[in-house]
Amino acid sequence: MNPFDYVSPSHLPEACEAMALHGTDALLLSGGTDLNVALRHGHLTTPCVIDLKKVQELKPSIDRDGGGLRISAQTTMTALGKYLTDHALFPSLRDAAAVVGSIQIRNRATLVGNICNASPAADTVPVLSAMGAEVEIYTADGTRTRLVEHFIEGNRKIDLGPGEIVTAVRIPLPDHPRGCAFDRITRRRGVDLATCNIAVTVSPDEVVVAFGAVTPRPLVLRDQSGVLTSSDASAEDRAKVIDALASQAAPITDVRASADYRTAMLSVIGERALELAHKRLAKALADV
Amino acid sequence: MSDASKSQSMPDTMANPPRLGTAKSIKLVVNGQPVASEVAAHTSLLDFLRDGLNLKGAKECCAVGECGACTVLINGEPVNSCLMLAVEAQNARVETVEGLSNGNQLSTVQHAFLNCGGVQCGFCIPGMVMSAEALHRENPEADDAEVREALSGNLCRCGGYNRMFDAMRDASNREVHCKTSEPVTGSAVGADVTRLGGVERVNGSQAFVADLDIAGMTHLKLVTLDVGRARIKRIDATKALAVPGVLAVITADDLPKPMPRFGAERQDRPVIAEGETKFHGEPVAAVVAEAKDIAAHAAGLVEVDYEALEALTSIDAALEAGAPLVQDPELRSGDPLADTNVLKDLNYGWGDVDGAKSDVVIENTYTFPMVTHFAIEPHGFIVDASGEKMTVWSPVQHPFLLQKIMAGLFDMPLSDVHVLSPDPGGGFGGKQMPKFEPLLAFASRRIGRPVRLILTLEETFQAVRRAAATVHIRSGFTNDGDLVFHDIASDYLIGAYADVATRVTQKGNYLGCGPYRVPNARIKARPVLSHTTPSCAFRGFGTPQVNWAVESQINAAARQLGIDGLDIRRRNVSDKGDQVVPGDVPADGHWLQSLEKAADLLGWDTPVAPNRGRGIAVGIKSGATTGLSNSTVRLLADGSVMVFAGTSDMGQGARTIFAQLAADLLGAPYERVSVTMGDTAVVPFDLQTSASRSTVFMGNAITRACEDIHAQVIELACETLGVSDTDVRIEDGHIILPDRRQPIFGFVQQSLGKWNGELIGNGRMRKPTDKDHPLGGSPAFFEFNCTAFEVEVDRSTGEIIIHKHVTVGDVGKALNPLQVEMQDEGAAIMGLGHSIYEQILTDDMGRIRNLGAIDYRIMTTKDMPAELKTGMIENEDGPGPKGAKGVSEGAILCTAPALAAAVADATGAVTRDLPLTPERVWRTLNNSNAQTGGQDA
Repeated sequence: MNPFDYVSPSHLPEACEAMALHGTDALLLSGGTDLNVALRHGHLTTPCVIDLKKVQELKPSIDRDGGGLRISAQTTMTALGKYLTDHALFPSLRDAAAVVGSIQIRNRATLVGNICNASPAADTVPVLSAMGAEVEIYTADGTRTRLVEHFIEGNRKIDLGPGEIVTAVRIPLPDHPRGCAFDRITRRRGVDLATCNIAVTVSPDEVVVAFGAVTPRPLVLRDQSGVLTSSDASAEDRAKVIDALASQAAPITDVRASADYRTAMLSVIGERALELAHKRLAKALADV
Repeated sequence: MSDASKSQSMPDTMANPPRLGTAKSIKLVVNGQPVASEVAAHTSLLDFLRDGLNLKGAKECCAVGECGACTVLINGEPVNSCLMLAVEAQNARVETVEGLSNGNQLSTVQHAFLNCGGVQCGFCIPGMVMSAEALHRENPEADDAEVREALSGNLCRCGGYNRMFDAMRDASNREVHCKTSEPVTGSAVGADVTRLGGVERVNGSQAFVADLDIAGMTHLKLVTLDVGRARIKRIDATKALAVPGVLAVITADDLPKPMPRFGAERQDRPVIAEGETKFHGEPVAAVVAEAKDIAAHAAGLVEVDYEALEALTSIDAALEAGAPLVQDPELRSGDPLADTNVLKDLNYGWGDVDGAKSDVVIENTYTFPMVTHFAIEPHGFIVDASGEKMTVWSPVQHPFLLQKIMAGLFDMPLSDVHVLSPDPGGGFGGKQMPKFEPLLAFASRRIGRPVRLILTLEETFQAVRRAAATVHIRSGFTNDGDLVFHDIASDYLIGAYADVATRVTQKGNYLGCGPYRVPNARIKARPVLSHTTPSCAFRGFGTPQVNWAVESQINAAARQLGIDGLDIRRRNVSDKGDQVVPGDVPADGHWLQSLEKAADLLGWDTPVAPNRGRGIAVGIKSGATTGLSNSTVRLLADGSVMVFAGTSDMGQGARTIFAQLAADLLGAPYERVSVTMGDTAVVPFDLQTSASRSTVFMGNAITRACEDIHAQVIELACETLGVSDTDVRIEDGHIILPDRRQPIFGFVQQSLGKWNGELIGNGRMRKPTDKDHPLGGSPAFFEFNCTAFEVEVDRSTGEIIIHKHVTVGDVGKALNPLQVEMQDEGAAIMGLGHSIYEQILTDDMGRIRNLGAIDYRIMTTKDMPAELKTGMIENEDGPGPKGAKGVSEGAILCTAPALAAAVADATGAVTRDLPLTPERVWRTLNNSNAQTGGQDA
């Protein structure tokens, strides 16, 4: 580990000043469950770590405002999971947050950190992408927003300029009944990184599928066939459409899996997630 | 402390040591106490707690948040302290394991872990109990699924997690499988007595090597290259030496010429790479500094100019004509194989394989991957060679071997080399041999201070592994399923240095045909050198590899002949007195009883649910064949007992067994017996802690030492009571006098107590070398095991769902049944690891691609079989005390073939390569589309 300086600003402008002082080499610290590994292994080096945990504007909070849910930058996976469980909201996000690392990791890791780390295998990213979630970005000129789907530009690459800080994630609340599901493939049942993962959002008139760990950035696809939307489509027809969607992924072969296994598993989890999403949609429709 | 490590005049830097990085002030509350301190910004919370506050309970293993050994509570929530900077804990309320207990007054959870057998080596425990504590506070009634989830961020490698699940039930007063008991004096042996040293392990006070603080200690960091094999052209340490606090950078140029080499079998391993690195992670230089972060930082500044060379990482590549020679032939002078990469050509056999008549011949090739020990305690060493004598602290399984090798390398008398071996935090064979102790000794001599090196988990992966294997095998059977012959060709992929590779290959393959009556056999086995991590001993010692092939052949034959997997073994498995290897000792147990018990426990004869399959397999391993174990036992004036044994207690629980034996033999309460280990200046010679030998060898030595005391007790009685020695005898720890029967414990209080003396007994067990025996001696005992599975396979993903996993060992006599179960479960789950997850993957450059805990997967709580049952057969027919045999390796011998048979039974898909990852099973299913076992060759 190379030495570095550390600052812990109390407000956003102060954090931005620190960023300006240290230039683009400064690193923003949220939960630290990825950053501290990278620093220790020398994958990242920096003159200064800027810890955002004490920034007042970023303090853990989950609020409903306007038409959505706003999850502040310092909200941990544990807190998020608890909120979603207690409020019976966004079950796919709850399920994804529940498999990020171990309890120890989830007690530190934040949702915003999971997005900003921009690992192609991040579990929450496909879910957020499929739900049309946006990140809220503090800039010198005010606030801008960006769809998570677009905010992540590639493997470990995000659309965040100098002096910018992600302050929250906003997830729109649907104005119509919807069923969402998350699923993934791992090498073992206990704590693991996704070999591939998927989020499916089923509305009466649209199905959005987001694949993870199979492209450098989230692959968000909309079913144009109408087959996946239909609750009475045959399993065979659904499988064909899912296979066609999965074929748009470009997975790599690495230590976790080979490319063809990943592609095949996209179809498997695609079918599983679609089925669960339809069940949830049916329940949502029944509850209306 | 030894003479050798008494500090010299302290250098100036000791008073005001240089520090790395920017110091920050922090305030926090630790275990209820306010703390204000200065700490460098880059310091992890774990390092701050351990080094800054001297709270050594939390441990470092993976350092990437995967193993949980560093778990502490922050504001009541468990977190990985390795992934937090100390400065992030500003104003936090931190709880560590030290805060849970009040000295030996354990918390409910700690108590439950101790009493339910949740504790073995203890290295994972401080973190594990913090996770357990957090769950217990939040949800004391947590169900099994919640427990598995809550503990899934904490890895244990000794046990099978089941005892921890039990502990969580016990903590909320629910029924558990087994709890330790306070033994009745005189009946400690055979009871589930509480682990000796267990309290220290659950309260975090057990001092492992990384927890030791030696006065004047400096810190060493290895400099390695990001390549498997390379020619070293130039090493420039200028920048590293310029870092304040760096004391030395040592390369091959700083060592004597020719390069000192060492090893157990051959002296082929250089102290540091000279001219060429031969495997990924072989150090080319070492930085010694005042602090470990300075050493680590400076190591990154050592500039090495090198040229990458072709690295041999497979058996095929190493055996190819024209392949580069891994070892310089000059190092192998007189060796007819010196111009090849074959280390040794081993041949065993009997009968007439070529002339034997079989109805069915099955021929296949099986592979077993490189796997690593992954003891939760990474390897660590401290050496003080600053004076004329030398002190070495190393959690080594063989302290006396380390002493011998160091004495040889430095031309010192054995008596001047003092080895202190703190209890290893898991060994599994990986901690048998010296590794970096010689390098540290040279460094210590050079700078005149003690030097410490604690490896990272990644570096540990680059230090030890199991030999990979390719086994080509032809097997003949009659139509009735009787074995006619095995024709086995085993190639074991070893590293660049021999370590104990020949011995591993020998012992595994000499018994390659397994626990069967095989009329004809031909076994050819070769350890093959390569540019990979040095392979070494690893639980099972060469047997799991060949047994994977041989047992899979038996299962293939069963399928092909339409015979049940249990029945084909009933026909062929040796029973007590039957031949195993002709001319050698016969089967030493009623092995068919183990077979039947495993089948019973699994419910082999009950109807199998749809989509499920069952599989069964057996295995044997040779126990130790030779060697000497000594013990000294001191019976003190108040009847308390001190046992001195050179065994290393690395989690197997040897200390407990020894105390149980001595307690009963001297009529003393169990808690009045102490056991001293791990100090060559104090304990008498013991060859090694390996081959599951300690209960038998050291157990017998202790028994004889106690018998030596018995003779002295009789003398004492004659002298003090004026009776004749014909009127006095000893029986079951009691002295039988003409007028009474009294525990020795009480008797000596009265007699010895008067003059405050003590009685000292010495005992030994020695099995001499038989130079005509292929192993140097016949097996002292066999470890026999039968393993069976019931599984289901998710055909869409290839995932194996394990409903039942059963293992039964032929143990002779369980001196502590709970401990036997703990070892058996641990071996079973470790076996499951190499059966379904574990493999070291290398790239074209010979680099390990999945270095570290993130991509090398071992079993977690959530991967445990739905049901894991262990059973044991006790016929008191072993050579150890009360008829005991060694037990620590049996359950790893045949896990893979039993599991693969169950998968084949469930799906028809036959796999001959390990591990059976979901992807591999999926691929096999897709390639075969088989439903009925049609894939057998």
